[in-house]
Amino acid sequence: MSKPIIDIKNISKIYQMGSQLVHALRDITVTINENEYVALMGPSGSGKSTLMNILGCLDTPSSGTYFFNNTNVRELNDNELAEIRNREIGFVFQTFNLLPRATALKNIELPLVYSGIKKYERIEKAEEALRSVGLEDRMEHKPNELSGGQRQRVAIARALVTSPSIILADEPTGNLDSKTGNDIMRLFQTLWESGNTIILVTHEEEIALHAKRIIRLRDGLIESDEINNNQVKF
Amino acid sequence: MNLFESIRMAINSIFIHKLRSFLTLLSVAIGVFAIMGSGSLVSSFDNTVETEMANLGENSFKITRTPSVQTGHDSWRKYRKRERINYKQYSKLKNKIGDMAFVSVESNQSNMTIKYSEFETDPDVTLQGTNEVYFNINNRDVPKGRPITEADVEYDRNVAVIGNDVFNKLFKGIDPIGKQIKIGKQKFEVIGVLDEKGAILGKSQDNQVIIPITRFNKYYSNWWESLDISIKAFSKESFPYVLDETIGALRTLRSDQPGAENSFEIETNESITQQFSGLTGYLTYFGLLAGFFALAAAGVGITNIMLVAIKERTREIGLRKALGARRFWITMQFLVETMTITLIGGLIGIALGFLMSSMISYFLGLKVTIPIDWMIISITITTILGLVSGLYPAFRAASLDPIDALRYE
Ligand SMILES: Nc1ncnc2c1ncn2[C@@H]1O[C@H](COP(=O)(O)OP(=O)(O)O)[C@@H](O)[C@H]1O
Ligand SMILES: [Mg+2]
Repeated sequence: MSKPIIDIKNISKIYQMGSQLVHALRDITVTINENEYVALMGPSGSGKSTLMNILGCLDTPSSGTYFFNNTNVRELNDNELAEIRNREIGFVFQTFNLLPRATALKNIELPLVYSGIKKYERIEKAEEALRSVGLEDRMEHKPNELSGGQRQRVAIARALVTSPSIILADEPTGNLDSKTGNDIMRLFQTLWESGNTIILVTHEEEIALHAKRIIRLRDGLIESDEINNNQVKF
Repeated sequence: MNLFESIRMAINSIFIHKLRSFLTLLSVAIGVFAIMGSGSLVSSFDNTVETEMANLGENSFKITRTPSVQTGHDSWRKYRKRERINYKQYSKLKNKIGDMAFVSVESNQSNMTIKYSEFETDPDVTLQGTNEVYFNINNRDVPKGRPITEADVEYDRNVAVIGNDVFNKLFKGIDPIGKQIKIGKQKFEVIGVLDEKGAILGKSQDNQVIIPITRFNKYYSNWWESLDISIKAFSKESFPYVLDETIGALRTLRSDQPGAENSFEIETNESITQQFSGLTGYLTYFGLLAGFFALAAAGVGITNIMLVAIKERTREIGLRKALGARRFWITMQFLVETMTITLIGGLIGIALGFLMSSMISYFLGLKVTIPIDWMIISITITTILGLVSGLYPAFRAASLDPIDALRYE
């Protein structure tokens, strides 16, 4: 049996909007193992991002338990959460979220800066990550000198550089045209095949079909959670 | 993440936000400029007063009819009635205390013209009548030739010791000793050249000619003019006794009534320095006050500017937190950024303040001093300013919620 990385039980998330309570997540239970490739599917407002923020230790659930690599996340303080995000989780955002004034290499170095790794080692690892997304010839380019697809590759390299347990990607192709989106999906497939664990948030069926397992959310509830027998591979 | 990294990021962001940084730098620089400028100006002033104004030397004091620095609007009324100090009083005083102290007498006439053959000086030379102990009491040397002697005074000799400016003006390359100069209608023989002293408060100390007091009184003095007397006790121990004796003797000589104030002024080094320290204390106080107000305003400005910067960079902060930056590092990043800007502003203020005080000092003829103490004070104040005004924005940044920050538009 493979090792569970994410293990959540009966998680709910309730937001208060004025006098109204918004149940963003209701009683969610999911286990995700090492080297899984999971798509979180659902229409807008179904709770995908909320779940993803909880999985990424950016947010805490209103109730329920969350074990990350056998650690009870509820018991961690601010700094310990920051450390988990730094070492164990690689985020990829829809809007890339690169530092605009920093070069590709510097952007990729940033998480390593926060884990206190020495300069020469940082550069080495950042260069390796850039190579793995096929951008070794764009190291000194700033984000505005790169195309959208290239920016997202830099962001993926930044997520990979710490060798995290899991990569969380929230609508990573949402801001890209379909051809560039395809390139990014091909990159995710490669990463998965080389042993990475990936959770992909999307509202597009086409994108979700690239994953091995699809979890469908609706109104904060899990509608279905099954293996994708029609996985689209490149 | 080390300090160097933070400082480099801070300097980067200074260059990115040029106008904002410029305004911050400017406000800090103005405040530090006021503190540093007035502080170092006062330092130069004090230094000059200490080393040059107070050139009476140890164990010395001076007797004058009126004080050299007069304050208060009714002082003129008070001093006007005082009898002048005349030569007779001086001689009698000298007889009385001459075995415990050097006693010199001084009187002078400014704006004199000195002539030698076809050369003449501008009409700005100070002619000074005095006696043989003047040189000792005032720490002046006569490296070329000889000073005035007791015999010169006693036998009314027409001899003169000239200052360096006069020497340069009249005797270009010629040996002046033994030459005849003309002061007004009288001829004097040059017997010596004074050592060079430079300027005090913009006035040259070398543009003078010294002749025996007896000659001076005969040709250049008006009957109403008062003499100054300088006294130097032979030893430190006898100084208080000499001072007492002098006051007693002078009161008798000038028939001051018992219980009445002295009809003359006694000035020691301390009393002169004190008169000036009142003045410089005021300047320091004013500069510090202006500086503190400017810096307080700068501090509020910096805090606001940093809060705006943090607002603009909310998403960046969210991203950094998502990538694993701890609170501490976010705090440090913004604190270092604030400190870097304020310190650069502070350094500019220090440089400008020093430049200005040096220029004023130069024009006033003060000694230009490098005010290490004021530099340290300014840097300390700037550091505290950076810390105080940067801490709140930095904390605000560090305590942002990562999700809210990431979602911020
Ligand atoms: N910070 C918040 N405050 C209040 N309601 C929120 C907040 N975040 C999300 N929600 C609500 O929770 C529900 C799920 O949102 P979200 O997880 O962003 O959905 P998705 O990513 O699937 O579009 C929505 O109804 C949304 O309005
Ligand atoms: Mg979403």
